[in-house]
Amino acid sequence: MSRALIAALLAATTLTVPALAHSRPLTISTTLKNYSGNGAYLAVYVTDAKGAYAGTLWVSGGKAKYYKHLSDWNRLSAGSARGLDAITGASVTAGRTLKVTADVADALVDAGYEIRVDAAVEDLRDSPSEIRVPLTTTNAGKPHAGRQYIQSFTYQLQ
Amino acid sequence: MTWRVLHRWLGLVAGAVALVLGVTGVILALDPMVDTLKSAPVPAGLPVSTLVQRVSATIPGAEEIRRLPTGDIVVYAFDGNRASASYVDAADGRVLGEYQPSAPLRWIRNLHRSFLLDDAGRIAAAGIALAMLLMSLSGLVLLARRMGGWRRLAGRVRGSLLQRIHVTSGRLLVAVLLLSSITALYMSAATFGLVTVERDGDPDVMSNVNVHADLPGHELPLLQKLPVAELRKLSFPYRGDPEDSWKVVTEHGAGWIDRHTGQTLAWEDTLTAKRLHDWVMLLHTGEGTVVWALVLATLGASIPLFWVSGLMLWRQARRQTPRMTDNSALSQADILIFVASENGSTWGFAQALHRALVRNGHRAHTSGVERFQTAAATRQVLVLAATYGDGQAPAHAARALERIARQPAGSAPVTVLGFGDRQFPAFCAFAEALDQALRTRGWPQLLPLERIHQQSAQQFMRWSEALGQALGESLPLDYVPQVPPTTPLTLISRQDFAGELGQPATILRFTWPPQHWLDRLRGRGLPHFEAGDLVGVLAPGSSVPRYYSLASGYRDGFLEICVRRMPDGLCSTYLHALQAGDAIRAFIRPNPGFGLDGSRQPVVLIGAGTGVAPLAGFIRGNRRHQPMHLYFGARDPARDFYFGKEIQAWLGDRRLASLRTAFSRTPDGGGYVQDALRRDATRVRELIARGAIVRVCGSRAMAQGVVETLNDILRTVSLNVQQLKAGGRYAEDVF
Repeated sequence: MSRALIAALLAATTLTVPALAHSRPLTISTTLKNYSGNGAYLAVYVTDAKGAYAGTLWVSGGKAKYYKHLSDWNRLSAGSARGLDAITGASVTAGRTLKVTADVADALVDAGYEIRVDAAVEDLRDSPSEIRVPLTTTNAGKPHAGRQYIQSFTYQLQ
Repeated sequence: MTWRVLHRWLGLVAGAVALVLGVTGVILALDPMVDTLKSAPVPAGLPVSTLVQRVSATIPGAEEIRRLPTGDIVVYAFDGNRASASYVDAADGRVLGEYQPSAPLRWIRNLHRSFLLDDAGRIAAAGIALAMLLMSLSGLVLLARRMGGWRRLAGRVRGSLLQRIHVTSGRLLVAVLLLSSITALYMSAATFGLVTVERDGDPDVMSNVNVHADLPGHELPLLQKLPVAELRKLSFPYRGDPEDSWKVVTEHGAGWIDRHTGQTLAWEDTLTAKRLHDWVMLLHTGEGTVVWALVLATLGASIPLFWVSGLMLWRQARRQTPRMTDNSALSQADILIFVASENGSTWGFAQALHRALVRNGHRAHTSGVERFQTAAATRQVLVLAATYGDGQAPAHAARALERIARQPAGSAPVTVLGFGDRQFPAFCAFAEALDQALRTRGWPQLLPLERIHQQSAQQFMRWSEALGQALGESLPLDYVPQVPPTTPLTLISRQDFAGELGQPATILRFTWPPQHWLDRLRGRGLPHFEAGDLVGVLAPGSSVPRYYSLASGYRDGFLEICVRRMPDGLCSTYLHALQAGDAIRAFIRPNPGFGLDGSRQPVVLIGAGTGVAPLAGFIRGNRRHQPMHLYFGARDPARDFYFGKEIQAWLGDRRLASLRTAFSRTPDGGGYVQDALRRDATRVRELIARGAIVRVCGSRAMAQGVVETLNDILRTVSLNVQQLKAGGRYAEDVF
């Protein structure tokens, strides 16, 4: 794995909301703490105001058998985001940064939606919904700290 | 042949990589074992609810309790802004220290399971596991072959120190090696999702949001019934999420508990596949055990031992592979020589024959009998075949019979010469099987099957003379027995006996020069020997060794033989003239099948004259007080009661259970040893019927007399010597 950023980006996905064709690119940057453990599995996804699952932006970690440790995402998405190769990458090593870009529909921004990140590391504690950040234009660019594995989480809207 | 090739090449190639797995495996087995020994004991019957109460008191932000396989209790907490993990004493909830999985150990584990190469490495590691599985299986087959059958697997291992290290440690560890490689393959299959071990997701449960107050963990009924000893993991509900529930995982299943009402919302039993997986993990890692972890660590440490000893054995075998000069192509040769050889000595005979034929103007082709075939130019075919163990083909010739059975008979006569040892019930059995197969197919023969005992050069010369006559030419052989490298032995003492008329006897005791263990490992110097093995002695100026049975083992620290001076005996005369301090050149030849196999069964030893020597060696080495009964026939106690003083001493310290003597040349001496047996018929019958082992050493006539006497004695219990021989319980050393 390269020492630099994990630039496993380029995987463009679109969270489609019916009737609204306009979308904008969303760049997510997640830097992990220097915890002592193997690479982390991460799931970056969006929920609506009521906490219902709206879609998956990115999954780090290729073995589906471990997805149950990303327990909130696994439960909420009911497995619907599995096998989507286009938005799946390698697990992220401690201390490294994951940077990915996805397309989100305009209608999701400033509409009560939330970006969440579940994290899990082998033999260590699962950390579902480690990050919960409202998807708003004002929040864009602000770093958020996670409680377990995530040093900082930032997203940019263009 | 295929098993050996498989074993060799897998060992050379995969074995080198397996070294990494072995060394890392030792560390991975020992580290948790230390934790297991150190872990604070959980009070018996302590319920999880009490543990939760204690932990909540000492660690306010506790979020998860885990019981590690080592028995340690670890609590994960999130307090304010800081995540923590701590060891906790289950007895009082006291924090014992920070829990920090070791980074070097994690690196070693990743090296062990994936060579630090992720999925590609995992596949490679699984390949190595498969190779280890095949190596264990092929090793087991080779071991059974070497020991002379599956039922003799536990017998005593013979051979050089290196061979014994490889074979003995392999025999001890093959079961663990098989288990380790099978469990590794299962774990790989689980990692790659080829076997399903767990349910996909959790059940969709939520706590009752109509009730608002949380129930404390120690009031949850499910946790009150659950002992800590069965706990795997308990996750507390999230503080900010009223719908969240408790989740508890035990070895039997997983449960979800309402945070407000304490009701069990769901329970899922552990899948059978998961239980199997847990067992596989336990067997492979030994985590949470002490004894099994030690066994696994021993296995890991033994892999370098296997690899290095295997590599050295392979190099030794390669050095011994014969080279033929003037070897014509099979299609152009008029005489073909096919060889089946176990330890290379038969190739020596073939080389001499080949040279003589080439000198006479023949075009000769020599190769292994597994390549048996003829061509248009073939005029004569000679097959020189040794037999291995209890009548089997030497390893490289295992498929020769099938090959012969598949081919139509040719017109060239095929002559078979067998090499073997009359000690074995199946003397020259493989040569006989080859001859039989050839005759059944309809191949003509030039000479009938001849059998050569113990690589006798004289017998071989006689056979080649007959061959020369049949071919109508003179066939002088320059056969020089291949004498193994010798070791100088120094005489330290001798004990003289008057012996038979004109044939005095002497017991000679030698020492060997100090040997470096590295040289012994490399098969140089005097190898390990047991009483009953043979020592080959080369008289000065002679290239034909004489063999004497050993009356001591390597562990006794000296080498002892009993030599009767034969009229005109070159070697015995030479030995009789030795004085203390003189040195001889000698080498060891194993005598498998005659030595004792280490069982605890009673032993009946029957010897006459100098034939008592190896039997005395057995008794001398009997430090475990296996019941040994000696029947000793001599002529006159004043002249040839060899080892008489020692035998009395051994009776005293119980190495020898009983002694019966017969002296044929004294009045009332008791006649021959057969007479002593007959007088003791009831006891002998009982001993043998109860499973006693019989060893006979003496002249051929005496051995024949003993067989007849024992057959008489055993008739009433429907046993005979032939059966005992077939069962490996009866062996002779005759001269």
